[in-house]
Amino acid sequence: MSATVDVPAQVGVKKNYLTALKEALFEEMSLNPHMICQGEDIGILGGAFGVTEGLQAQYGAQRVIDMPISEACIVGSAVGMALNGKTVMAEMQFIDFISCGFDQIVNMMATYHYRTAGEVNIPVVVRGPAGAYGGGALYHSQMNESWFCNSPGLKVICASTPSDAKGLLKTALRDGNPVISYEIKELYRRNDIAEVLPDEDYTVPFGKAAIRKAGKDITLVSYGQNVYHCIQAADELEKLGVSAEVIDIRTLVPLDEETIFNSVAKTNRVIVVNEAPMTCGFAGEIVSRISTKAFDLLDAPPVRITRLDTPVPWVKPLELFVLPSVEKIVQAALKTVKY
Amino acid sequence: MRSQSGTAAPERTDDPKEHNQTIRPRDLLTKEDHLEIFKLLFLARYFDVRLIKEKKRGRLRGTLYSSHNQEAVLVGCLYGLRPDDWISPIHRDMPAFFLKDIKFKWDDPARMGMSIEELCAQVWGKAGSPGRARDNWSHIGSKSKHIIHSTSMLSGTIPAAAGVVYADRLNGGDVIAMTLNGEGSTAQGIFHEAINFAAVHKLPVVTIIENNHWAYGTPTHMEYSQEDFARRADGYGIMGLVADGQDVLDVYDKVMMAVNHSRAGNGPSIVECKTFRAYGHGDHDDDRAAKYRPEAEILKGRERDPIGVYRQYLLEKGYISPEDAKLYIAENKGAGEVGNEDFPPEVVAYLSKGIDYALTCPVPEAEEGGMWVFKEGGR
Ligand SMILES: Cc1ncc(C[n+]2csc(CCOP(=O)(O)OP(=O)(O)O)c2C)c(N)n1
Ligand SMILES: [Mg+2]
Repeated sequence: MSATVDVPAQVGVKKNYLTALKEALFEEMSLNPHMICQGEDIGILGGAFGVTEGLQAQYGAQRVIDMPISEACIVGSAVGMALNGKTVMAEMQFIDFISCGFDQIVNMMATYHYRTAGEVNIPVVVRGPAGAYGGGALYHSQMNESWFCNSPGLKVICASTPSDAKGLLKTALRDGNPVISYEIKELYRRNDIAEVLPDEDYTVPFGKAAIRKAGKDITLVSYGQNVYHCIQAADELEKLGVSAEVIDIRTLVPLDEETIFNSVAKTNRVIVVNEAPMTCGFAGEIVSRISTKAFDLLDAPPVRITRLDTPVPWVKPLELFVLPSVEKIVQAALKTVKY
Repeated sequence: MRSQSGTAAPERTDDPKEHNQTIRPRDLLTKEDHLEIFKLLFLARYFDVRLIKEKKRGRLRGTLYSSHNQEAVLVGCLYGLRPDDWISPIHRDMPAFFLKDIKFKWDDPARMGMSIEELCAQVWGKAGSPGRARDNWSHIGSKSKHIIHSTSMLSGTIPAAAGVVYADRLNGGDVIAMTLNGEGSTAQGIFHEAINFAAVHKLPVVTIIENNHWAYGTPTHMEYSQEDFARRADGYGIMGLVADGQDVLDVYDKVMMAVNHSRAGNGPSIVECKTFRAYGHGDHDDDRAAKYRPEAEILKGRERDPIGVYRQYLLEKGYISPEDAKLYIAENKGAGEVGNEDFPPEVVAYLSKGIDYALTCPVPEAEEGGMWVFKEGGR
């Protein structure tokens, strides 16, 4: 047993996003003897990013499985295990590869509860590192969450802070429904966002957005990595005399409309920022809900700042060109408040 | 006939017979078993022809994928399973839902198979269906009866079958999971991905390949480069057997060899049952199939009707008298050419009971269309 497990929360010690995820897995594995973790290289190696480091040493190779390279089978066998009483964490080495398991996710897993009229539920969490800004190029940078938001029966979550990463993952593993979790790999080891995590067993509920910065002139709605771009933009806007409120939705399905609408009721202006391509992306969904359900609150057309409708290119200038940036948010905000 | 390749079946060493003859699984069947199997072939056939008639009268929605002439595969595969074994049937296997755990207890509500009432309610799209008629025809199942709920996605339940038995092994159990698939479906990636996983963990997944020589409008030589689909097993180093799908006892023998082998911890297995598709792919395809399939092939296929093949065997063994053998003749006839009088009365009564139930059952309330997207209340 060569596990080096930093599970017991040390008071006052700040933990990064990756450690928070790891703690969630260790804690749930010990609380739930019927939980299984499976994915590529998650056991002996401890995962490509180390999220599952030490897990197999602690819980054994039967519950922490190094899977053959088949995303479809990782998901599909998890569905069968769930059908037979298990809770499964299924890791995608990169969330980009989830496309290889797409059919099993959207047709087998997502629909199971529905097509059995509630007889069966599938407690499976498919989680994996996602997102751009790291030079990962086309196939290690994606945010493909809208595929799954468009597939009824799946919950879709995206944590931006260490405490949310842990609390949302624990909620996901107890939810009883299939959950797709977008973890932001660029945040995994960022020290500036490390936090002291609560000592006690805590969870973060689905469908409850967080206000990351309060403001009154304009609302910036986002999730994942772009939350930090929004906070930075809000700081710059403040210097220019514009007060921006930053909302981190945390979970896409279910979506906390109330917090968004309450903010827009105050600011009457809104910009939605995400790093997925614009067409049929989740930013469009949020804008659509505001436009259809809270039209009267708006004093300016809602704005989407997203990736261009392109793949994510490799080299830095190209990558940044197609992605949302602090600068793009500031410029759009200035225009929108003057509308 | 065993495939050239694949792991050899375990030979029995406790052979009590003289002549050092190996005992086949069929040798352990009693006369009662044989008569029951005979009746089950009629039951599966009757289910099919009756539904074909109901469909022609416009009483059913959706597509009927006839299992006509493939009954020996279904009965032979399912007869020897344990009640708690899992199965996963596909579109052409409607009778499999009631054939599971049916022997000698057709009406027992506690059996681990679907009741004929539930199945008919499903076919008629009624609220008494186990899935409340949310998806059509064969896309049903039961967690408590150990039937994996399939989708339309061919080979899509094989990974689930592997997961089910993985979980079972972890709990100390010894069930097997049998998945039924058409030969065309073996080209799907997930077929291989799942069997590979099962082979790595020596999981008791028994994959049946119903080779009816057509995948919709595509003949086998355009689906696979080898003659025997059982050779799919070679790449995984697992047992791959070929059975005569028109001979229920040959199916039974090969399947039980595979089941015993897999249950004993030797890994997954594949049994290819060579059979024949009597009609079009689905009832919507009957007219076109008559054009794309050579007539000679159809006539040749119909020659070896599984009911007739088995009747002959029973006669030769003396399990039925020549007089009894003349009582009900359902073989070598199309669905339009047989009537109730060609089937044992208990077979007709059994299905009629299911249909009567379905007809009195209400259609689900419209609002149910919006229900059960998510489970409430946690794990
Ligand atoms: C993934 C997928 N692709 C295509 C289809 C459409 N389809 C339904 S059945 C079928 C043919 C299946 O052939 P085979 O596996 O040999 O089974 P059979 O119908 O002959 O019993 C096709 C192409 C499907 N249901 N699923
Ligand atoms: Mg076929």
